[in-house]
Amino acid sequence: MSEEIISFLKSKFADSIIEVTLEDRETSLTVKKEKFCEILSTLKYIGFNHLSDVTCVDYIKEQEIEVVYHLWSHTKKLRGNIKVRISRESPSIKSVVDLWIGAQIHERENHEMFGITFLGNPNLSPLFLEEWEEIPPFRKDFNAREFVRREYYEKE
Amino acid sequence: MKKNKLEEREITPEFLLPFGPQHPASGHFYASIIIDGERVVELNPHPGYLHRGLEKLMEYRTHVQNCMLVDRICILDPFSNEIGYVNAVEKITGIEVPERAKFIRTIMAELGRILSHITWIGVNSMALGLDSGTRIAWGNRERIIRLNEIITGGRIYPCYFTVGGVRRDLPQGFKEKIMKELDYVEKQLNVYDSLVFENEIFIMRMKGVGTFGAKEAIALGTTGPNLRGCGVKTDVRKDESYEAYPMVDFRVVTMKDGDAYSRALVRRGELAESISIIRQLLEKIPEGKFRVIIPSFMKSPKGDTHFCCEAARGELCFHMVSDGSPNPYRVKVRGPSFSHTLSEFPYLVKGVNIADVPAIYWSLDPCPADMDR
Amino acid sequence: MKDKTLGVLKPLVIDKYLTTKPMTLNFPTETLEPVEGYRGRHFLEMEKCVGCGLCARMCPNKAIEIIELKGRKYPQIHLGKCCFCGLCAEYCPTTALKMTSMAMISMFDKSEAVYGPNKLSQPIE
Repeated sequence: MSEEIISFLKSKFADSIIEVTLEDRETSLTVKKEKFCEILSTLKYIGFNHLSDVTCVDYIKEQEIEVVYHLWSHTKKLRGNIKVRISRESPSIKSVVDLWIGAQIHERENHEMFGITFLGNPNLSPLFLEEWEEIPPFRKDFNAREFVRREYYEKE
Repeated sequence: MKKNKLEEREITPEFLLPFGPQHPASGHFYASIIIDGERVVELNPHPGYLHRGLEKLMEYRTHVQNCMLVDRICILDPFSNEIGYVNAVEKITGIEVPERAKFIRTIMAELGRILSHITWIGVNSMALGLDSGTRIAWGNRERIIRLNEIITGGRIYPCYFTVGGVRRDLPQGFKEKIMKELDYVEKQLNVYDSLVFENEIFIMRMKGVGTFGAKEAIALGTTGPNLRGCGVKTDVRKDESYEAYPMVDFRVVTMKDGDAYSRALVRRGELAESISIIRQLLEKIPEGKFRVIIPSFMKSPKGDTHFCCEAARGELCFHMVSDGSPNPYRVKVRGPSFSHTLSEFPYLVKGVNIADVPAIYWSLDPCPADMDR
Repeated sequence: MKDKTLGVLKPLVIDKYLTTKPMTLNFPTETLEPVEGYRGRHFLEMEKCVGCGLCARMCPNKAIEIIELKGRKYPQIHLGKCCFCGLCAEYCPTTALKMTSMAMISMFDKSEAVYGPNKLSQPIE
C-alpha cells in the first residue's frame, strides 16, 4: 500500500488502527475487531479486488488467535495485509463472504483446523478430515508426533 | 393387503453420479454430481485424499530440513515451491544470495514450468479420449527429467535449493546439454500443434465451453493462466519481480474469450516464452560462488513475512511467522489449485451437459497435491 | 469447409512414429544407466568415521541411529524411513558417509531394511 492510502484510512478510522508496519513491498495494518469489516469494504472500493488468502496464527502464550487477510490490487499493483486479534476461548468473527465469494472455502478450512466460527458463512461442514474427535489439529496444544505414535506405531 | 415396496419409495428424476477418485475421470479428487437427464444440477466436491498436514510437520523441523518437505507440496512443478520457501526465509533473516545462484535458480524454475505444461498436454488429451497425445507427451517428459537427474541428483524430488544458494554447482558441459533439449522441445511443438491444438475435434470440444468473464473470475479467486485466458494482463514475474527475472525480456500471453480453448492457447504460448527465457539466461550467466555458508541450526529473528511467486498453475504464497528459534512458528501455504477446484469448478459446471465436465475440469489444470497439502 | 477437412486430416502427421524406435525400454533386460551423482544407497568407510553423530541430528525423518560396535560408534540407517535427500552425506565432517548411484535395493522382508555398519561398508558391484 502507498503512503496516501494509509493516511486516507487513518483520517477515516483513526481509533481503530493500532499499528502500521511499512516495508519496501509489503504493508501490514493491525486493526481492532469492531470495525474491520468497514475497513475491508473501503479497501475493496478503492481497488483491492483480489483476496489471496485467510491465515490464522495461534499465540498460545498470550491466549489469542490472529486472523490475517491478504489483499492484492490488479489495477494499482499493490499488496497489503490486515491483521485482527480475537480471544482463544470460543473464538468467533464476522465472515466476509458478501464482499468476496471466494472467501467461503478459506473460512471453511480454518474452521476445521483451528475451531473458529465465522458468523454468516453458509457451509461450515468438515472438509479434509473424517470422524475427527480430538481438539482442532493445528492448535499448539495438539502434539502430532505423540498422536502418530499412539494411533499407528503402538497398535501394530 | 400388503403394500408393494416399490410403490412406497419416492422416485425422483435426479440421479447421483460419482466423478471418482481414479484416472481417467479425475486425479486424487472425488466429486458427487447430481444430474437430471443429461444436465448437471449441482456438484459437491470432497477433497482430502492427499492431506498430509505439511504445515504442521514443518513446525518440528529446522529451515534446512524443511527444504526436503517443501518439494512434496506440488509434485508436478517442484522448483516453484522451493523458490517460495527459500526466499521467505531469506527475507526474514536478511541473507544475501550470490548472483550465480540467482541465475541457476531461475533456469531451473523455467525448466520446471516447461515440464508442467507438457504434462498438462498429456493429461488433457487423455481426458478427451485422444490417447496419442498422452503417449507422445509423456515420452518427451522423460528427457527433461533426465536433465533434472544430471544437474540435481534426483528425478522427481530434486531437493536442490537451500538457504543461501544452491547445493551443488552446474556440471561440466551443461550449456550444450540444455540447448540440445530445448531444440528438441521446440521441434516437438510443431507435432503438438498438428495433433492437439489445430485438431478439429479438439477445437469442437473445447471452444465455447466453461466460459466466464473477468469480474466473476477475480471474485472467485482465480490466478495464473486461467485468469490470463479471460483478458486480464497480470503476472507476478513482472509485477513483483524476484530472482533473475528483472534481467530478461519476455511477453505476458493473454487471450480474450475466457473459454477452455483460450486457456489451452495461453499455456501453449507460455511454453514458447519459457524456451526463449532460458536461452537469454544461458548467455548471461556469471562466474563466482554458488552458495553462502550458514550455521545449520541458525536462529532466525522474530517477525513475520509474506512472499508470492508464480508457479505454473497460478500464484503460490508463503506466510511465515518466526519467534527466535531454529524452527518456524507457523507456515501457511496458499496453493493455486485450492480456489480453482473448490470455488470455480462448481460454479462453471451448473447447467452443462455431462460430457463437458471432464473438458472443463482438465482445462483448469488442477493439482490435488496443491489443494490438500 | 476446407479448413475443417484440413483440421481432421492434420493429426495424421504422427504416422512417422510407426517406423521410429520406441521410447520405452524392455525392463528388466534393459535398464537406464543412473548418472554419476544420483542419490541412491549410502556407503560408509569405517576407518574414517569418528562417531560425532551429526548425520543423526541432520536427518529430517530420524532414520539414522548411532550404535556401538567393538568400542567405537557407527551409524545404522533404516532405509524404509529414509527419503534419500542427501543431507547426512553433505554434513559429514570427514566424508566417511557418501551416496552412490545404486538404485535397485528392493527386498521381500521388512526386517532387511535396517542396514548396519557392516552392511553399509560392503562395496557395490
